[in-house]
Amino acid sequence: MKSISLYVDNKTWLTGVHPFTKLLYIAAAISIPLIAGKLWAFGCCIAVSLCALAAGKILKRTVPLIAFSFTILLTIFLIHGLFHQGNTNVLFSVGPLRFYREGVLYACRIGLNILNMLLSFAILVLSTRPSELVEELEKRGFSPRFGYIINSVFQIIPQMMGTMSTITDAQRSRGMETEGSLWTRAKAFLPLISPVVMSSLINTRERAVALEVRGFGSKRKRTYLADRPAHRGDRAITICLLLLMAAVVGWRIGTCLLSK
Amino acid sequence: MSFIEVEHLKYRYPHTERLALDDLSFSVEKGEFIGIIGENGAGKSTLSQAFTGLVPQFYKGAYGGRVTVDGLEAGKTPVSALCQKVGLVFQNPFNQLSGARDNVYEEVIFGMQNLGVEREEMKRRAREALELLDIWQFRDRNPFDLSGGQMQRVAIASVLVMRPEVIVLDEPTSQLDPKGSEEVFAAVDSLARSGITILMVEQKIEKLAAYCDRILLLHRGRQVAFDSPRRVLSRGDLEEMGIRPPACTRICRELGKSFPDGTWPVTEEEAAELMRDLPKPLRAGGGEKEEGVRKPSPEEALFQIRQLGFSYTEGVPVLEGLNLDLDGRPTAVIGQNGAGKTTLVKLLKGLLRPVSGTISFCGEDTSQKTVAMLAGKIGYVFQNPDDQIFKYNVLDEVMFGPLNIGMSPEKAEAEAKRALETVGLAGREGENPYDLELNERKMVAIASVLAMDTDVVILDEPTIAQDYRGRSAIAGVIRDLKSRGKLVLAILHDMDFVAECFERVIVMAHGRILADGDAGSVFSMDEVLEEARLQKPFVARLCERLGCAGSCLTAEEFLRKSGYRES
Repeated sequence: MKSISLYVDNKTWLTGVHPFTKLLYIAAAISIPLIAGKLWAFGCCIAVSLCALAAGKILKRTVPLIAFSFTILLTIFLIHGLFHQGNTNVLFSVGPLRFYREGVLYACRIGLNILNMLLSFAILVLSTRPSELVEELEKRGFSPRFGYIINSVFQIIPQMMGTMSTITDAQRSRGMETEGSLWTRAKAFLPLISPVVMSSLINTRERAVALEVRGFGSKRKRTYLADRPAHRGDRAITICLLLLMAAVVGWRIGTCLLSK
Repeated sequence: MSFIEVEHLKYRYPHTERLALDDLSFSVEKGEFIGIIGENGAGKSTLSQAFTGLVPQFYKGAYGGRVTVDGLEAGKTPVSALCQKVGLVFQNPFNQLSGARDNVYEEVIFGMQNLGVEREEMKRRAREALELLDIWQFRDRNPFDLSGGQMQRVAIASVLVMRPEVIVLDEPTSQLDPKGSEEVFAAVDSLARSGITILMVEQKIEKLAAYCDRILLLHRGRQVAFDSPRRVLSRGDLEEMGIRPPACTRICRELGKSFPDGTWPVTEEEAAELMRDLPKPLRAGGGEKEEGVRKPSPEEALFQIRQLGFSYTEGVPVLEGLNLDLDGRPTAVIGQNGAGKTTLVKLLKGLLRPVSGTISFCGEDTSQKTVAMLAGKIGYVFQNPDDQIFKYNVLDEVMFGPLNIGMSPEKAEAEAKRALETVGLAGREGENPYDLELNERKMVAIASVLAMDTDVVILDEPTIAQDYRGRSAIAGVIRDLKSRGKLVLAILHDMDFVAECFERVIVMAHGRILADGDAGSVFSMDEVLEEARLQKPFVARLCERLGCAGSCLTAEEFLRKSGYRES
């Protein structure tokens, strides 16, 4: 079955890092440049993210993510470079188009921010098994019901896609055309979608029963198969990140006070 | 007081008129193995859900009387507490899996986690259950990637690990191949012997007769009998209640071979014991067997398959170098779960494209045609009717296919009505298919393909979830199609049904054809059956016990050959 999770277990050190450490990293990577308010801080965070991704051997798999966001970045760059409301100083011009310094700077800030968020999230998403993250959350009191919903999405969506292809086969077997003109496709919509909806409704009811008889409603404290093996880096990274964040906040407050 | 007590249990589903359970009273001792039989709609599933408290706690509705399990009242104890006493396994393995675990091992652990079982204990129980059901080797696989039979064993394992004192199984083997279901029965039997109380709903009467201590017979929500298998299955009115007695019982009844207490034998052992002195004519009958297999000549072959190869992922062949000619005889494809049977018929239907080799239909290469082009010639009934039903009434649903392939509305309606008549749903045209029971929906699905009046009809496990009446209706469909010169190709796990209805049997295993011939010759190839994990029909096994192996396969044949019934 095709998984919709982007995680691949490549056995690098990054997959061994605790999901919470990665969550903290996301928080740090996003907040530090915003608090610091300097453009170079974004650069630093992006560089760190890239290093982490490279060390985890998943740099290549971030390329599609970056490529996807690139169109958005380009649009932002064009719009703000050309039309930002504070535009006064021309930076450069391409033919009749004049790009302004203020707008380009502003676009850089937004662009770097997006890239920074994307890369720090990529570390979590690409190197963490979704069910592992949920399990760790549950161990710390996160509702098992929400945990179940998150986990089941990763199982049930691929399963529904499988059902969809069986349904397509079943209807094609009854002589229904599924390819061709827009009208043919539109006509095929109902015969394809109704069985999916109806069978998911039936399945959901049955699955609810199945969960019930497996003690899902039990109020008892749940147990888990394994404690996460402690990763040597976890504590060190956490302390570093917290210190860094504190330092940035301190520095920012300090500069504010000094300038007054 | 008995371990399980049912007192005047009555239940009605919300928004219905009829009582689904009507005044049931019985008691079960600890460690007993109870079989529950009855036709579809008799209340078997409802009763099994009453043991776990789902009726009435989950389904609501009107409830009267009492069910107590080891002193706990099922109607009032929360399901999450009761599930440690009573485990439930149901028909469709697909919906029993939590859907929140990535591999079989964690899936099996899921229930224990909810109950807070200690870690080492969880590991021990999981290993024990997985090994018992022979699925330890799949522990790292995604449960949804397994075949139906394997998935069902995962479902049973995940109930077993919770160490319930009672396990209720609702037709757990309907999706399994014969060996697989035998394994489940054996596993359940050993559980019963270890002191676990078993309540099992089943259509496989022969199996229940062999394993159960007592059988509960339900009919339209009422308790008809609760007694030893021999007493229950010796009743003369079973057929009226949609139950067919085991083949041995039918034979002995015709032959008048009863036990001193007036009951008939229900297992092969018992029957063989009573018939020691009997049917000499049978031994002579063994020689009648047709010699060799009649290969269809190229002219009469509808399908010609040459060197067919197929794989879903490169390097993992599902079918390899397959050669086969199919003519007009009703043909059954049998074999273990995952042997490549469904893949083969999907290739014939054009839903999959061969990776190598060719398939020609009536002399034309099918790879040049689209599925829609073949739709008017080859019909295919999918396993799960819910994968295709989408109209609001039965007639429209059945007419959908015929209209698609260009039949005129008048002809389509006439064909649809005829098809519904054949499957026994005449007069139900106006109903909403979703209000029908699963077995009836399956009939709607079959009718919707029959109505297309194709030259070939492919049936994928048509007997699943069908009771005796449903099976007879399907047997009728096959006879009808044959008489109209259509090829019926069916994938089946029910060997007795194969022996009764099919002239040609193809055995598949590991993507290859192991044997191909009439039922009599195929079911006498012991090594082939062993390799394909198949079992002989019950009557064939009875013949082996009687020392006339290979002489007949069905009760009717047995009686005819032993001279007790005119042909």
